Amino acid sequence: MIIGIPREGRVGERRVAATPESAKALIEMGFTVCVAENAGLLASFPDSSFEQVGASIVSQEAAWASVVVLQVNPPSVEEIGGMRQGGTLISLLRPAQNQALLDTLMGKKATALALDQIPRITRAQKMDVLSSMGNIAGYRAVVEASQHYGGFFGGQMTAAGKSAPAKVLVIGAGVAGLSALGAARGLGATVYAFDVRVSAKEQVESLGGRFLTVEIEESGETAGGYAKTMSKEFIDAEMALFREHAPTTDVVITTALIPGRAAPKLWLADMVAAMKPGSVVVDLAAEQGGNCEGTVAGEVVQVDGVNIIGYTDLVSRLPTVASRFFAKNVQNLIVELGGAEGWHIDHEDEAVRGALAVEAGELRFPPPKIERPPPPVVAPPTQVTAPEPKAESGVGRLLASAAFVGVFGAIGLFAPIEFVQHFSVFVLSCFVGWQLIWNVNHALHTPLMSVTNAISGIILVGGLLQTGRGESFTALPVILAAVALLLASINVVGGFLVTHRMLAMFRRGN
Amino acid sequence: MLIPMTLPLSVAAETWLPESLLPVAYLVAGILFVLSIGGLSSQKSASRGNFFGMAGMVLAVVATMLAPEVASYGVMAGAIAVGAIVGAALASRVGMTSMPQLVAALHSFVGLAAVLVGLSTYLDPGHPLQGPEAIIHGVEILLDVAIGAVTFTGSVVAWAKLDGRLSGKPLLLPGRHFLNLFLVAAIVGLSVPFLQADPGEGEVWLLAIAGVASLLGVHLVASIGGADMPVVVSLLNSYSGWTAAAAGFMLGNDLLIITGALVGSSGAILSSIMCKAMNRSIWNVVFGGFGSDGSAPAANADQPEGEWTEIPLGNLVDRILDAQEVVIVPGYGMAVGQAQRAVDSFTRDLQGRGIRVRFAIHPVAGRLPGHMNVLLAEAGVPYDIVMEMDEINGDLPKTDVVLVIGANDIVNPSAQTDPASPIAGMPVLEVWKSELTVVFKRGRGVGYAGVVNPLFFLDKTRMFFGDARDSMEKINAELKSRP
Repeated sequence: MIIGIPREGRVGERRVAATPESAKALIEMGFTVCVAENAGLLASFPDSSFEQVGASIVSQEAAWASVVVLQVNPPSVEEIGGMRQGGTLISLLRPAQNQALLDTLMGKKATALALDQIPRITRAQKMDVLSSMGNIAGYRAVVEASQHYGGFFGGQMTAAGKSAPAKVLVIGAGVAGLSALGAARGLGATVYAFDVRVSAKEQVESLGGRFLTVEIEESGETAGGYAKTMSKEFIDAEMALFREHAPTTDVVITTALIPGRAAPKLWLADMVAAMKPGSVVVDLAAEQGGNCEGTVAGEVVQVDGVNIIGYTDLVSRLPTVASRFFAKNVQNLIVELGGAEGWHIDHEDEAVRGALAVEAGELRFPPPKIERPPPPVVAPPTQVTAPEPKAESGVGRLLASAAFVGVFGAIGLFAPIEFVQHFSVFVLSCFVGWQLIWNVNHALHTPLMSVTNAISGIILVGGLLQTGRGESFTALPVILAAVALLLASINVVGGFLVTHRMLAMFRRGN
Repeated sequence: MLIPMTLPLSVAAETWLPESLLPVAYLVAGILFVLSIGGLSSQKSASRGNFFGMAGMVLAVVATMLAPEVASYGVMAGAIAVGAIVGAALASRVGMTSMPQLVAALHSFVGLAAVLVGLSTYLDPGHPLQGPEAIIHGVEILLDVAIGAVTFTGSVVAWAKLDGRLSGKPLLLPGRHFLNLFLVAAIVGLSVPFLQADPGEGEVWLLAIAGVASLLGVHLVASIGGADMPVVVSLLNSYSGWTAAAAGFMLGNDLLIITGALVGSSGAILSSIMCKAMNRSIWNVVFGGFGSDGSAPAANADQPEGEWTEIPLGNLVDRILDAQEVVIVPGYGMAVGQAQRAVDSFTRDLQGRGIRVRFAIHPVAGRLPGHMNVLLAEAGVPYDIVMEMDEINGDLPKTDVVLVIGANDIVNPSAQTDPASPIAGMPVLEVWKSELTVVFKRGRGVGYAGVVNPLFFLDKTRMFFGDARDSMEKINAELKSRP
């Protein structure tokens, strides 16, 4: 089976859908890999590096005519025209927005797998290009912001004066947002992150960010771990929060996307105006219309002295690593499809079925809905409060008190004085023991058991008294007591010695 | 602690010793036992505490031998000598991994000794008893024998389970609660004719009580699963204390009462600590029949979908060498695999490279309270890098690599996330918050509690399959080859 990797048709795209590394893996799986001339050049993978691992360099047309074609971006209708009849395409596709593409693919009796439609389940994470690309976009957003920002990210105190750390606000703590948070923290900035999903709080805090919330009870999380559209009250509260932060924020990075819809407007013109001149807004949703009013897709514009960065190719600006991650995701999907020998489209495989947009000319998008809980990475464990121990009921307490009075009363009324004396010793000893044991170090619980074991061998005193009366050692009571004495001595000696052995092992570090 | 001490068995015998000397000696022995347990509050004073315990025991034995009613020494010297030799041999041979078995075996000895002393005392009370005194004495004897018998057979079953001679699965007989109730009722029922019999002639009834109590002991422990063994062992520890206390009442000996009460409370508190660590009540542990594969079918039905990712040796060592903070979570698997020494040399190697290594101990890791601490101490790991769960949980998010060696349920996130899980609400080590969690696992099965662990499928988790010791030794060898 031949896999072809044509050059990307989209202007400004530097990524490539396969790297020498992934090509090598594909060849090992039994594929013949044909890379179009200079397909990897902009990602720093020259043709020679593909040839070294056994791939062939072919013309752009030949690459498109392969049985399986790997692309990063959704191809154009013309490019699909170059595909063979019944070929297979694996790329980003956005099938919901690209009906014309689907029609063309169906006309070609083609099979198309949309990488952007792979469900976000734990098992499919290794194929999740949206996550791997989001991570890169978030990092690059910080790099772009720092380039347009006129100050340090980290605070400095020098003989020439001091500079406070930059305040960065990340809106949307998804993969890209968290990655931006981490990168900005790495440069020393103070980072705030806002998300409608309460479950994002823990992740934000684990990266050293401060989580901003709106005090309205509503979680904006769908079953798939994505954000949903929120109620009006929520949005009003959210806007008020942003307005409050706008004057003191140096860098805003917006990453809010709702699947299949235009990006929500979150950073409005008045907030931009409230920011200090020289501040920066990086809008990762620029391609879907932008989260910021004033964003121009693909460009940097100045509004009220604020730089608004609307690049749509942030990922492509890190072409080498982006290609490597992308190619690895694709490679994992191809493993899932069975490699060259076992190649088949398995409808039972949730990841494959999710991605499947067109199969042999038949429309397969959208996939049947499967309700499932959010994957653990997108929604981190929420604390389940331990079931509270049942509070003692009043009746129970009354009964206990009654029993207490009854037992002590009966003992006081009927028991002989000798028993009462022993009983007082017993009760007081229980209290002493109770106090004592709670102080024992947890690490010494095993020695505690062996030492209490040894001292409970004190029962040998009973054996001593019974054997020592001078009666014949063949008398049954004496034999029984002698055996008891023997067993108890094992306990005493064994218990103390093993405790000693154990305690001698505990040593401090230097 | 001024407690009235009474002379054991108030026999008027001619003696050269003042009457009060024996009770005072017992009082001092009691104080020494208290100090001995008090010493265990820290590692520094622990050894001294153990010597206090020995001194108390020697004092108690010598004082008893000098008691007025003791007239011959031949039999007792022989029995003590044999017992001491056997005990010393056991103590010096036992491996630290077999501590749970040893402790259970020692409990059974206390139980059996109490039964035998009880029978012996009944047959030969030393002096005649009448009226209410005789009844109370009878009750004391039957309590001593019944608790002793439960402790004895229960400990034998616990020993067999811990030693692998019996399956760890709970024995779940139909109507087992009624069986327990019936056995208790039988003991109460048998005690009536026993107390009505003439002194010295009810031994048949006493033996019957011992027999029924033995059955009760077997059934109680047999119906508890292997994962709950730490609780069972500490419960039996408690029983052995109450046995000694009952014997003290029977013999009118305050030292036995004091010691029994100390040991009894100790075991009770340990059981309660263990139960809290599993977020279960003591009733649930004793009567729940939990801790087997069979008891958790609901959990198996909806296994979290996912697949493990294994980590190659070279990669693992790279990640460890890149780390600044490494935390090791040992479990019973480390003990089974005898990996503790390899873990110690691993620790030293990393410390030599300036990587901070610490251990995170869950209260119920292993099969005995504090078991992991002893194993690590034996291997030479200094105790000040061995942390309790509460001390280290807050540091786990800042940890680069967590190595989970042979532990499963104590690192299971579903305890926090899945209210339907059999271990829901159990405090666990939150290893998934670290940068990378590597799970060392022998096989691909579920943990002792029979619960699926979603930790294995998280994307920051990697699996390293194989015997714990082999795996650690492979890593050590790989580390040696790196500068």
